[in-house]
Amino acid sequence: MSVTSIIVTTHNRPHLLVRAIESARLAGSDIEIIVVDDASLDQTQTICRTLPDIKYVRLERNQRVAGARNVGLLVSSGEFVSFLDDDDVRLPGSLDEQVRILEANSQAGLVYGQAIVKDESSEEVYPLDCLHGDVFWRLVTQNFIPCGSAVFRRSCLDRVGLLDSYLAGLDDWDLWIRIASLFPIVALEKPVMIWKRSSPVSGQGSSQAASIVSRAVQQFRTRWMKLPRAVAAKVEVRQKAWQQFSANMAAHLAWETMRSLDHRNFVQAARNTIEVAQLGPMAVARVAARRRLF
Amino acid sequence: MARASIIIPTFDRPHLLSRAVESARAAAEDVEIIVIDDASVNETSSLCRELTGIKYIRLEHNQGVAGARNVGILASTSEYIAFLDDDDLRLPGSLDVQSDALDANPDVGFVCGAMLMADQNYSLTGDISAPAHASGDRFWELLELDFPVMPLSVLIRKECFTKVGLLNNRLGGIDDWDILVRIAELYPVMVQDEPIGIYRKPTSVSGQGSSSQAKQLFQALSHQLQLFRLPRVQAATPSKRSRVRRRTINRVADTLLWNAPALFHDRAFNSAAANVLTALRLNPWRAFRPRALRKLDQVLVKSRRESLVTH
Repeated sequence: MSVTSIIVTTHNRPHLLVRAIESARLAGSDIEIIVVDDASLDQTQTICRTLPDIKYVRLERNQRVAGARNVGLLVSSGEFVSFLDDDDVRLPGSLDEQVRILEANSQAGLVYGQAIVKDESSEEVYPLDCLHGDVFWRLVTQNFIPCGSAVFRRSCLDRVGLLDSYLAGLDDWDLWIRIASLFPIVALEKPVMIWKRSSPVSGQGSSQAASIVSRAVQQFRTRWMKLPRAVAAKVEVRQKAWQQFSANMAAHLAWETMRSLDHRNFVQAARNTIEVAQLGPMAVARVAARRRLF
Repeated sequence: MARASIIIPTFDRPHLLSRAVESARAAAEDVEIIVIDDASVNETSSLCRELTGIKYIRLEHNQGVAGARNVGILASTSEYIAFLDDDDLRLPGSLDVQSDALDANPDVGFVCGAMLMADQNYSLTGDISAPAHASGDRFWELLELDFPVMPLSVLIRKECFTKVGLLNNRLGGIDDWDILVRIAELYPVMVQDEPIGIYRKPTSVSGQGSSSQAKQLFQALSHQLQLFRLPRVQAATPSKRSRVRRRTINRVADTLLWNAPALFHDRAFNSAAANVLTALRLNPWRAFRPRALRKLDQVLVKSRRESLVTH
């Protein structure tokens, strides 16, 4: 049995997919590559059938990313699991290194690493300082775990459940939070993947920043703060988490708004601004204060 | 290796659970029983650890029925999946009958049978709920709510989940209808006459399913519009779509109306009022047809007679 399952979800992007799969192949020695084709309408199917040594699953009905990842989990058999988007690239040997860390820390549920975030113009490493240990309260305020960099124990799912198919764009963050509420998290402080950031016009995930943030706010209030661990915490702790969370969301939206303006996508910018207003004046004030500090 | 898995999600009802587990054990010669404890806060976990021969999974975060069933599907190692609620019972041998049916018909997505109705104490009421249609392509009937199937009487081929996806975790209460519609869109359905399980009918005050019947059916109606996005519905003519929609609305309105007198009789006045109001909201004219009034009269007479017998 393979030790690690890499679940690659794809929809209508065969030109990127092959590169992602080849990078996954080099990332670890004892791996199982699962490609979940989320009802692609193009030649993805024919291309995947020619690729050797992958488990190809074709969904006949589009389930979006979270639903497709769940199906990938269903057909996978590895003790450790990692997700990879079709436009991501895993760095060679990175998976082996992370699995070794997870094996050495038998208590830990998840290990993540840094991502090289590529823009049209720039390149940066994220996150700069890798938090580890009990990161629950930090993680609810900001998703600092790049999705493709995370490797987690399959057994965690028996404790926290699968991905929430309703949370497009947030499903990974939601799962990391649930894992972090029960298990310590470890980190490999070096780049393990290349993550291409979508531009506001490309129609990919992050271009709908406003709707993702509004869903995150809802999720924060109705689920994350209702986890047994959060309920047991003091009110001040929850309040502080909300303050940091809303400020982070506001900062994220402000940044997305600037990008939208750069790309002359005024509708998107307006939507983001409205969403910022809903986070409350205090969040905006906190962002402003934080900017002055830098 | 067992051919079929029975997935039993449970939440805070240990007194019912062991009975359901025993019925599952007798349902087939070889069966994989998976109990998903959906973050119960009482002694469910200690009770489950005493049960032998089951796979016990304890969720630390409550995921709801659909989320718990998904975790069960993930944990199962067999080809076929059956769901069992912790308060329902499977009949002995029922799982083998259904597994044989799926073995013999490899193109079928799921097989379903009849259910025996029972009251809260598991004594049979004599009513049988059997699927009203024959085997074959039952997509439209399922979509129209004209094919009442409950997870209790169904055995699903696991492979279907890799084609249509897992259960929708945000559809508490109607997730089973949703997945069966999605499977039936692509696969033929097989119907058998054999009774498969014993369904413990909720009372109007027990806080189970039908106390929120109006709410649940209304949720089903709004979710139907999501299901209309399925390619097969999209490919149908607009007139077919609107016919399906109209018939479903009328069916739901009728069901709510017919059930209102019984609820009223059980002194569940809030639920009865919710039923009538929702029915009127769906189709105000429906309640005033002569046929409707006659049926209402019949229902009233029947419930009066029952009350005379019981008191």
